[in-house]
Amino acid sequence: MATALGDEGTARGARRGDALGRWINHHPLAALSLAVIVIFCLWLILAPWPQGFEDWFGRKRLFINALFNGITLGGLYFLVAAGFTLIFGLMRNVNLAHGSLYLFGGYMGYEAGVWTGSWLLSFVVAFLCCAIVGAAMQILIFRRMEGQDLRQTLVTLGLSIVFADLMVWVWGGNAIQIDTPDYLTGPVPTPIVVALKPSGDAIFLQYPRVRLVIFAAAVLIGIGMWLALHRTRIGMMIRAGVDDRDMLSVLGYRVQLLFVLVFAFGAGLAGMAGIVGGTFQSISLGEDSHFLLASLVVVIVGGMGSIPGAALGALIIGLSEQFGLVYFQNYATVATFVIMVVVLALRPQGLLGRR
Amino acid sequence: MALSDTGTARRPIGLEGDAFSRWLSQHSPTLLLGLLLVLLPAAATDFVLDQIVGWTLVLGMIALSLMFLAGYGGMVSLVQMTVAGLAGYSITVLGASSLPSISLFWPWWVAAPLAILIAVAFGTLAGALSARTEGIYTIMITLALASAFFYLTLQNWSIFNGFNGFTSVPAPIFLGVNWKSPVPLYYLILFCAGLSYVAVLYVSRAPFGIALQGARDNPRRMEAIGFNVMAHRIAAYAFAAVIAAVGGILLVWLNNQISPGTAGIQATIDLLVIAVVGGLGHPIGAFIGAFIYVILRTFALDALVAVGLDGRRFQTIIGLGFLVIVLFSPDGVIGIWRRWLARAASSRRGIGR
Amino acid sequence: MSSVAERIAAAGAGNAIELRGVSRLFGALAALNDITLTVRPGERRAVLGSNGAGKTTLLNCVTGDFPPTKGTVRFFGEDVTTLPPHERTRRGLRRTYQISLLFQRLSVRDNVYLACRGASRGRFSLIRTRSSDAIMQSVADLIVLVHLEQVADRLVGELAHGQQRQLEIALALAGAPRFILFDEPAAGLSPNERGDLVAILTALPPHIGYIIIEHDMDVALRVVESVTMMHNGRIFKEGAPREIEADPEVQQLYLGGGHG
Repeated sequence: MATALGDEGTARGARRGDALGRWINHHPLAALSLAVIVIFCLWLILAPWPQGFEDWFGRKRLFINALFNGITLGGLYFLVAAGFTLIFGLMRNVNLAHGSLYLFGGYMGYEAGVWTGSWLLSFVVAFLCCAIVGAAMQILIFRRMEGQDLRQTLVTLGLSIVFADLMVWVWGGNAIQIDTPDYLTGPVPTPIVVALKPSGDAIFLQYPRVRLVIFAAAVLIGIGMWLALHRTRIGMMIRAGVDDRDMLSVLGYRVQLLFVLVFAFGAGLAGMAGIVGGTFQSISLGEDSHFLLASLVVVIVGGMGSIPGAALGALIIGLSEQFGLVYFQNYATVATFVIMVVVLALRPQGLLGRR
Repeated sequence: MALSDTGTARRPIGLEGDAFSRWLSQHSPTLLLGLLLVLLPAAATDFVLDQIVGWTLVLGMIALSLMFLAGYGGMVSLVQMTVAGLAGYSITVLGASSLPSISLFWPWWVAAPLAILIAVAFGTLAGALSARTEGIYTIMITLALASAFFYLTLQNWSIFNGFNGFTSVPAPIFLGVNWKSPVPLYYLILFCAGLSYVAVLYVSRAPFGIALQGARDNPRRMEAIGFNVMAHRIAAYAFAAVIAAVGGILLVWLNNQISPGTAGIQATIDLLVIAVVGGLGHPIGAFIGAFIYVILRTFALDALVAVGLDGRRFQTIIGLGFLVIVLFSPDGVIGIWRRWLARAASSRRGIGR
Repeated sequence: MSSVAERIAAAGAGNAIELRGVSRLFGALAALNDITLTVRPGERRAVLGSNGAGKTTLLNCVTGDFPPTKGTVRFFGEDVTTLPPHERTRRGLRRTYQISLLFQRLSVRDNVYLACRGASRGRFSLIRTRSSDAIMQSVADLIVLVHLEQVADRLVGELAHGQQRQLEIALALAGAPRFILFDEPAAGLSPNERGDLVAILTALPPHIGYIIIEHDMDVALRVVESVTMMHNGRIFKEGAPREIEADPEVQQLYLGGGHG
């Protein structure tokens, strides 16, 4: 059995290699320009920039920082949007309270951090708190209105209004910053040259350790989710449900359990992301709608119900926000939405979405 | 459903003689309410006139455009407040404001039609983007578009004057009347709101409106019987955008200012709350919802404090009220009213027997 | 029933429906495989075959609900392969659906009205239709034709199954159809209602041809003059109803097993 699977795997890999070769043969011009773009991007990142280029385009330090910030912000967006897209894909529930869960997780994580003094433990607390709230929402409310996707969405809207106000009541309107633990503070040297000293020595990029660690964690979570969806029974059930709603009726009573699990997991992820957001930036009033919108745009761009789509969308949106902030400040967020509109116009189901 | 109450189709032929009296009896509540609103300035203070009734009518108009799309077309578009906001900003930039560096000070009869045109173009485009996807996706896409506009107004200083927005955006003087003063402004708003209400009611039974309801119930069948569903939906967005745009201009004239918050995310959500609480089954729902909202906005703070609660919990009240409606009466206040009427009628019949 | 020749003369020359090499793939699965089929104007044809033979897919290719992956579809000589469904409808093609695809929250009258309006001008009109308008007369006639005048002002969602099936036929007859595709019109009808259905189909004006997909052989063979047999996405036999009934291969594949 295992060998059969392995054989099939390598065969598929070989076929994919052939496909790439065929594509290059069929579209030599496209392949060439793609190669040029890739090489140019590598040069942009790795090589020190000539003076003339910096005069025209701006300092390399700015560019590299925007790139790194964009990618790590994409990691954060992925954590928030992955749960959102799973919940939407499986239950057709546009969870407009997802931003509230993010904010709630951030606050609970902050409290837990203050109490226990452990940053890592606060992730567990935030995950559990939000997962419980998410499961309760599914069991107490959404189970009773299955198939009425508009009504479910309206309920999440009402909940988000109430949650937002209650959180202002408890935690006030001030921004809260979650402290980075000592073992993650400080910069990490990277092998990327940002500038040359007059002496000719290279200055290397120093980047905050915590952001790199969290990005790595987001990637791991993403890979873990992908594996869970493709290699476990429950994951297969979820994927079947996302692709074909009629499949769900075959599963019978277990559908309810599946829904609760997915809702709890998605909510828990959003909660953990709240701590990440509180560590990267801060958590405050209004962040709930910011992250709800980020999730919406990520999912629209990436493709609804698709985890790889959420990852791609998060990366694109993270990068576009950070580059927008550096290169066209007056219209920074608008750049993000322009991307969304273009995707909608050309591919309404999203980049990796299926119809 | 009263969606098909006033059908030409269901009116028997050959009763032309008492058609007028039938029409009168059918519409007597509406006519009474209209008469009351026309006579209101004789009795009410300026505050009630503009800040309660005027605001209700303007918000009701914008909510009406959402009701038209959601109730008849099945498209819950969150972009209607943005259409209103864009019309408001346009008339400010093209017309007059306290910022001569931005405003162009064109006469109102150029600025107002242009502002409506710009807003309708935007509303139609937003419709074209979201009408390609089905049902629940519309909410996501239109909410994202609405926030894009909000952030644009917030960040852009050269056209939208950023966070501050504009003040002193007066209604114009024409026909020798200063429409800025409370009573003329009230009548202007009443006229526009009444006209759009009647228009929506009328169009709902015209071929265009019936076809829109057909596309809501079954888009695939609509294609099969010869309709271009996409074109119909986009046209519906355009129709709704006209109402929202006029509402947006009136909103600016009424408030005498506009800022990002006017069409912000909060305002977008509030508009949906208004339409849903009132009820999406009939155009009057938009105005009922707006009235409840304005009353709460104006008095809830004091009322909460008076009963010993924190006045700042206003949003919780709104949210909980909205939840109660969505959970227990999905067709809004109209639904409660209809069920109550039906129960009263059946109990009367019971007594009669 | 008038003669075939008369009906062809009434409808004009050429073929009403002409499929050339039509295939329809769903992923790797070929639901239709290289179908070539011609139906003359005014001709009444049954398409028979077991479940999954590709009958409904064939209809969907003709109407444009799911366009074919290969091949061409002509309607009265015009190539309509890439036209959207509503354009084909405007050219006089109609269909009914196996599953109920009606406007549940509108009245019966509004349903029929929409079907008539869809086949005429003024689809976008903002002016209400007067009750004296010609279109309202055809709406009323159609409602009488399918015996729904008692429930004309009820919402479709409140109707019984048989009534919904009858409304389905009224929608297909609206406007000026030149050719109709019936997808299992008798499914779920009582014996009485089946009788009504046969009466309605045989009483159609002679220039209107149709293709009917039907499991009930009694209904299907009484209302057509030619039969096409399908199996696994291919056509394997064409002929008059009597020939088909007598064909041993057909008996084994389809009529066998005590069907009907």
